[in-house]
Amino acid sequence: MQIIADAIALGGLYALTALGIGLIFGVMRLINFAHGDLIAASGYSLLIAAGRPVLAAVVLALLAAVVLALGTERLAFRPLRRADPASLLIASFAVSVFLEKLLIVFVDSRPKGVDFLPGLAAPVELFGVRLQQLQVVTIAVSAALLAGMTWLLRFTRIGLEMRAAAENFRMARLLGVRANRVIAAAFALSGVLAAAVTVLFVAQTGVVAPRMGLTLVVIAFVSTVIGGLGSLPGAALGGMLVGSTSMLLQAFLPDELRPFREAFVFLAVIVVLLFRPQGLLAARGLRERV
Amino acid sequence: MMRAARRWLPLALLLLVVLAVAALAAVSPEVVRRRMVLALVDLVAVVGLYVFAGNSGVLPFGHAGFMAIGAYTSGLLTIPAPMKAMFLPALWPWLQQTQWPAWAGPPAGGVVAALAALIVGPPLMGLSGISASIATFALLVIVYTVVGNWSDVTGGQQSLMGLPLSTSLAPALVWACVALVVAYAYQESRSALALRASREDEAAARATGVHVRRERLVAFVLSALLSGIAGALLGHLAGTLRADSFYIDLTFLIVAMLVIGGMRSLTGAVLGTLSIALVTELLRLAEAGVPVAGTLLRAPAGLGDALLALAMLLVLLFRPSGLSGGRELGG
Amino acid sequence: MLRVENLHLAYGRVTALRGVSLAVEPGAMVSIIGPNGAGKTSLLGAIAGDVAAQSGRILFDGAELRGLPSDAIVRRGIALVPEGRHIFASLTVRENLTLGATIRADRAAARADIDRFLSIFPILRERAGQPAGRLSGGEQQQLAIARALLARPRLLMLDEPSLGLAPKIIDQVYDYLAEVRREGVAVLVVEQNAGRALAASDSIHVLNGGTVRLSGSGAEVMQHAGFDSAYFGVAL
Repeated sequence: MQIIADAIALGGLYALTALGIGLIFGVMRLINFAHGDLIAASGYSLLIAAGRPVLAAVVLALLAAVVLALGTERLAFRPLRRADPASLLIASFAVSVFLEKLLIVFVDSRPKGVDFLPGLAAPVELFGVRLQQLQVVTIAVSAALLAGMTWLLRFTRIGLEMRAAAENFRMARLLGVRANRVIAAAFALSGVLAAAVTVLFVAQTGVVAPRMGLTLVVIAFVSTVIGGLGSLPGAALGGMLVGSTSMLLQAFLPDELRPFREAFVFLAVIVVLLFRPQGLLAARGLRERV
Repeated sequence: MMRAARRWLPLALLLLVVLAVAALAAVSPEVVRRRMVLALVDLVAVVGLYVFAGNSGVLPFGHAGFMAIGAYTSGLLTIPAPMKAMFLPALWPWLQQTQWPAWAGPPAGGVVAALAALIVGPPLMGLSGISASIATFALLVIVYTVVGNWSDVTGGQQSLMGLPLSTSLAPALVWACVALVVAYAYQESRSALALRASREDEAAARATGVHVRRERLVAFVLSALLSGIAGALLGHLAGTLRADSFYIDLTFLIVAMLVIGGMRSLTGAVLGTLSIALVTELLRLAEAGVPVAGTLLRAPAGLGDALLALAMLLVLLFRPSGLSGGRELGG
Repeated sequence: MLRVENLHLAYGRVTALRGVSLAVEPGAMVSIIGPNGAGKTSLLGAIAGDVAAQSGRILFDGAELRGLPSDAIVRRGIALVPEGRHIFASLTVRENLTLGATIRADRAAARADIDRFLSIFPILRERAGQPAGRLSGGEQQQLAIARALLARPRLLMLDEPSLGLAPKIIDQVYDYLAEVRREGVAVLVVEQNAGRALAASDSIHVLNGGTVRLSGSGAEVMQHAGFDSAYFGVAL
């Protein structure tokens, strides 16, 4: 039971990260490495806000991630919008390294402890099972955000435009969907998701570092591939799947193989790419040479 | 005669450039020379990446993994046996007792990296574009995870120490020249020509009978060979190996060098490596501090890498074909 | 209303249009016919802002359109139904229609219009909640036209609307286009095969090799001695 809760909590975190990356890929075929730096930036804003009320810290983290996401879009990715996916990939790599090193210039590269929401470490009884409060919060927040995203994409005008743009950007524009607005909205949303991940992640680990987002993003990146690049439900599902698989591997793999669990996860990525390049949930209309 | 000369002119010019760098290094003070040796080693790595990326048009993100394989192979073969017994007590006895001369390390590292590429290559070569980049990136993470956790053989999270410091100017120069010759000779081959045809239009090349997967595999293995050599040279320059040194940062550095130089020509690989090495060196000096009017002006640490990333972005924005514009020197 | 003057367009070294000029008046139906690769799709794409022309003028009500992005041009009143229709397969029929009205501020009226289209095309109403990818080719064409009209364009452009459709369906499409014209919407249609377009059009341009080879009414063009060479490019 404890393992299942762990698996769902981790899966939720990965799903949120994967959704942030999947959103951007959907609207502009960009694999956004810099998503990890959104997480790092909002992590450091939690550090700055240490001692302030929790709400203020969360708002600051949110603001940092959203502003940074919009900034990278405006300054780096918009001018490159017509570039091929490979150049975009390199560009996002460059943006990510740039932001990370810039962060190091200002805060140096050593990890710093943040005592964020220490109260959540306390255990809680739920349905006769002892769980960490933080796990419950993580699961609840992930579920709420996934539901919120689903609502936004399904029932709002901008959500409809985003889905259309994800399927066929040129046609969406021909109907009058404003490219800049839709892409900026996607980046803003990815910022919101990054900030949520940060808050949960920092509450869990109590540490911020310039590279804190890297592992999360690398895994989320894989999740979007497994779930199907360009498919948003696929991204969330992939995140869930990778998170729970890696928890289960951690629990059931023999001791001597345990440290290699990431290698297994990435092996699975290659296998998926080879045998089901469109992912588990294929995106429609994805005509990119995936 | 004239045509043959013209055909090999770009290679001759590039070799001259590298020789000039080496000559400059020979007369420089020790600290600067070391940096220039590092630049020559980087050149081997970037040329290795170029052999695949430039000819196939697919940008792989896993070559730092091949460098790791080369470096650890070379390390395990050349570290003095008593040191291995101390640091890696659980290593297989036959390998623990092996002690090759230092010069034999890089070629061995290259060969093992090439074998690894030959094994993982065949399924991967069917992928194109972004999925190929992702799959090779997954490869990088797998190598990183294995190297970082296989404590009995690699030392895991610990540094592996005791590699002979054999990467001096002469071997670095020799290997840089070898890499250039191999890359250029390959580029002029029929196989590479077919591969470049597939880069422009995969379907059309297939239709004219080009076996895209096979030609890609040739380039991939050759490129892993050079990367493995470069990794080994890097190990013998530093004397210690860490899994982290062969991960994202190194990947970024070699990709940045190639992209900034222009990934469609060997000249681009050379130009990118040398110009970034130069800029990095200047920035390093700035980070160490420049005395200006009696005070020490010092750039903050990390600024150099940040500027490197910025330079790469600017190149992508304003000169997508790189500094070389995809052309060869004298070509 | 629409005036295209001396339009040039090239993709890299491949020239698609070399000096095309034509005009469309309000409520008129103009057809462009020509063989495969004549530049027909490029012409519509350039007017809609989907591809960029290098020189020449595209005037709509006297204002220059060249250089505007496609999402701005549809706001000026020009809608394009591209070749292959490009409906959003994963979105429902109703969502496709809603997207057609995305530029409109009058949300309530737009919703009423969507319902009106659903009653005009009963098959679409039946499937309003289903993914549009499940529609047949003819149904998708109806959806694509309805979607374009929901933007309330004054000029509707269609690229090969009869491609891959059964003759009976083609007749339905052209009958509907005639209705659209009665509401004052001008129609600019591109077809590879003259067929149905000839009879319905006020004027016809034969495009080949990136230029207009022949213009006139349907009968004039068909009976013109130079038609074959214009269309098949024999006299190039």
